[in-house]
Amino acid sequence: MHIQELILRLQRFWADRGCLIGQPYDLEKGAGTMNPLTFFGVLGDKPWNVAYVEPSRRPADGRYGENPFRVYKHLQFQVILKPSPAKVQEMYIESLEALGIDLSKHDLRFEEDNWESPTLGAWGVGWQVVLDGMEISQFTYFQQSGGLELKPVAAELTYGIERICMFLTGQDNIFDLTWGEVTTDQGVTPVTYGQVRQREEFELSAYSFEHADLKLHWDLFAAYEKEGWSLLHKHKLHLAAYEQALKMSHAFNVLDARGAVSTTERPGLIKRVRDLACACARLYLGMEVEAPQGPSGKMVVA
Amino acid sequence: MSKKAPARKTGSAPSDRRQEERRTTETRRAEPRKSPAKAAPKATPDPGSGPSPLRGKEDFLLELHCEEIPARFLKLLTEDLAGRLKAWAEAQGLGALGVQVFYSPRKLAWRVLGLPTAQPDRTETQVGPPKRMCVDEAGKPTVTGQKFAEKWNVPFEALTFDLVAGKKEAVAMVVQSLPGRPTLDLLAESLPGLIAQLHVPKAMRWGASEFAFVRPIRNILCLLGEHVVPFEVDGVRSGHTTLGHRLYHREHPEPIAITDPTDYDTHLEAAGVVCSFSERRRRMKDEMEGLAWEVQGQIVKDDGLLDTLAEIVEWPKVIRGEFPADFLELPKEVLVTSLKEHQKAFCVEDAKGHLLPTFVTAANRPDDPSGFVKSGNEWVLRARLYDARFFFAEDRKVKLAARLEKLKTLTFQRELGSYADKSQRISTLAADFAARLGLDGKVAAEAGRLSKADLVTLMVGEFPELQGIMGGEYLKAEGAPQALWMAVKEQYRPMASDDAVPASDFGALLALTDKLDTLVGCFAVGLIPSGSKDPLALRRAGMGIIRILWEKGWSIKPLELAKAAFQQVKANATKGEGETLSALEAFFKDRVAFQLELAGIPPAARRSAQAVGGQDLADLKARCQALSAFAEDSRFESLGQSVKRIANILKDENPEHTVDENVLQHESERILAAHLLQLEGLTDPKAILEDLAGLAGPLAAFFEGVMVKCEDEKLRAARLSLLNRLRQAFLRVADFSQWQ
Repeated sequence: MHIQELILRLQRFWADRGCLIGQPYDLEKGAGTMNPLTFFGVLGDKPWNVAYVEPSRRPADGRYGENPFRVYKHLQFQVILKPSPAKVQEMYIESLEALGIDLSKHDLRFEEDNWESPTLGAWGVGWQVVLDGMEISQFTYFQQSGGLELKPVAAELTYGIERICMFLTGQDNIFDLTWGEVTTDQGVTPVTYGQVRQREEFELSAYSFEHADLKLHWDLFAAYEKEGWSLLHKHKLHLAAYEQALKMSHAFNVLDARGAVSTTERPGLIKRVRDLACACARLYLGMEVEAPQGPSGKMVVA
Repeated sequence: MSKKAPARKTGSAPSDRRQEERRTTETRRAEPRKSPAKAAPKATPDPGSGPSPLRGKEDFLLELHCEEIPARFLKLLTEDLAGRLKAWAEAQGLGALGVQVFYSPRKLAWRVLGLPTAQPDRTETQVGPPKRMCVDEAGKPTVTGQKFAEKWNVPFEALTFDLVAGKKEAVAMVVQSLPGRPTLDLLAESLPGLIAQLHVPKAMRWGASEFAFVRPIRNILCLLGEHVVPFEVDGVRSGHTTLGHRLYHREHPEPIAITDPTDYDTHLEAAGVVCSFSERRRRMKDEMEGLAWEVQGQIVKDDGLLDTLAEIVEWPKVIRGEFPADFLELPKEVLVTSLKEHQKAFCVEDAKGHLLPTFVTAANRPDDPSGFVKSGNEWVLRARLYDARFFFAEDRKVKLAARLEKLKTLTFQRELGSYADKSQRISTLAADFAARLGLDGKVAAEAGRLSKADLVTLMVGEFPELQGIMGGEYLKAEGAPQALWMAVKEQYRPMASDDAVPASDFGALLALTDKLDTLVGCFAVGLIPSGSKDPLALRRAGMGIIRILWEKGWSIKPLELAKAAFQQVKANATKGEGETLSALEAFFKDRVAFQLELAGIPPAARRSAQAVGGQDLADLKARCQALSAFAEDSRFESLGQSVKRIANILKDENPEHTVDENVLQHESERILAAHLLQLEGLTDPKAILEDLAGLAGPLAAFFEGVMVKCEDEKLRAARLSLLNRLRQAFLRVADFSQWQ
């Protein structure tokens, strides 16, 4: 099983089950949940089924491409089903079979794992799906997002593409996975995950652990925040404002990986991202939006 | 001596029952009839309501089949509903039920054997106006009487007249008989409410419904005997079928029909679900021990983990796997924690306690036909251990002392500063306490300084429960002296009531100091545990302090230590020193009382020993243990009496110490005086008690034959002095007036 084959099968499977196949959102983000297809899609009462791959960046997890299991950027396959269907667990299990996993020979368990995203004002309850002792997916019933109760409730399925691929092929090193095959006049050449991504892992790790300019990122964090609130208030542009919240979140992650965020500062910074994201959610639903109080008690946006 | 007779209440208080127009008396049949065959047909009061139910007993079964329920809620939820069912049955007149509970990852189930199929019949008595208002002098019905009969829909002739409690004259009454309702109907009406009322700690919603429960309910099985109890919860209708293991239904698409509640567990087992938790746990334990034995090892015991494993599977299968032996270079605690936290797996050790490269964990299926379950778990474990080894290697690249700077950014408590601040305080205090105990202050100060440095290591970041242990391991690897690394390693002990206190002196000292700093600091800024709220686990810290002092036998008073600790947090304190220390005094007193109970000291010994002081735990322990040894000694009862008499006699006296005891006349008082000299020379509480016990006889003889407050001034003074010195001798061990 190759990385690209895995993605293609999941897309085919969920398209056949009535999902739109979305695309990754072209901004840095830590998880597929942050894609507007999910963040705004789960709000409100309209039915919404969507599936897509999301490259997800976690600067603190970077290991310079040297650790066989941890990476700065990994691929999530994200499915949103709203409202959550009665047979959602069965559908998920069928999707594993579509990947070639013969469940009559494996041990499949759903173990409690509740999910929370403090930057999005979102939480849900659910499980980590464990196959033969390995966590292969996160399965969540979204209860709240953007600080708002979700009615109806959406089910979110998140597959860890690399993990599943390593597991299916018995590989001990993520960089040895086969991404796919390139066919030319000279023949068929397999291409590994390492060939596609290892240099990127090294460079992005070096950047976020050593070279990222701290002052620049502190400034960016504040500038995106200001821009975000201004877009919300003056121009009522919730999508554009939400992009600023995503950028704040990434700037925060870079600062965090550099060890620049103290434990005491941390919750305050996360709250600033959340305040903006929640305000975007409210504006999207046509609700009233108030600017938050800045740290000094002054309004962040005049 | 005159004894006061206890005041006895004569007669009962007058009834203040309100004079109500309508009173209800319920008379229930004591025992519903045993079998339907014996049931006597009964005239139905309302011809339209059909035949009355057969009276007998049937077995009841309810199962909520859900998507996987979090393991930690299974027991809680089944017991909650079992309690509600019992209370409900009592209230319905169905008697006291024995409720069996079953749970597995997808099931919550309850079974009652022999539930009465109907409520017993009842009569209700409606009380009306006085007889004189209902019947006139000629014996004819009055308007009032007729109206009362009409109100309850009976002819006037059906009224009876009698005295009832609370009325002074005969009143009119209507006795109505109400047939008991069928249990099936009652259950159908009540179960949706009982289920909805369950206290779910983390409830969720799903789909488009407003209904909230622990996880989505997908099937309801509910039977009374062979009949389905019909009801609906969030759109799911109850029926007589259930679902087995997912694997089972790959080959058997049909749900499993249950026609008799007693077949429930056996039918489910045939479909791959062992629904009894204790049965799953028992089988898994046996199988694990067998698997460990095959490799000449034994399981590293962990009851909590075994519980968890039995809660996360429907079928109790256990598998054994191996990991590369070179991972055994990691500290044992790291391996045990990593296997437990990441893989819910047990380690296996040899007879000497050395780990084997083997693990044991659960699988939720009866077999492993292709070996995938074993190889999959092995694969994941390798990845985890690779990570742990990476952390261990990375962490050792930096000396622990070099991490102190980073502690400044790690908040301990907002009001009490960072962990760097805390380390500084612990270091100073530990040196101070070491001096009091005659231990090396330099080692203590260094242990305190380095105690928290491992909080910023990768390994502790990954496994917070390895705090202290990693600090100790890293110091050991740096070549630090054993006293130092051992102290850091043991500093969080005792972690629970079943955990031992630190074995090493410096470990105990550091643990004591750390807990005191936390406790005193929190009290000083008003973070005091109240009721069930103790988020910072201060009670556990307090208990740890008491246990360490108690078990180490260190003769230092916790309150004095607290006083020293307060000086360290003074700058941050929002409460005054006096207020903080008096709150702590009460806090320690409760912990000490609990410790005495734990140590098995009998209540009489506890009370009388504490009555003469409980600050110095080493001293209190010695006295309590000595007292416990004498608890059964009958001489102590009379000693208690004598002590009370002495206290009474001395109440308004001011006896002097320097009196000529040669004036003593009676033989019993001479014996006492002679004994006293010996007694006052003793220091060991046990020896003192042995001696005191010997005094019971002479004391009794003394009170028998001697008049203390005699005319002779000198003699009187000598006797009072003797008694006073005796009392002082008693009080060195205990206040025996508290003995009974």
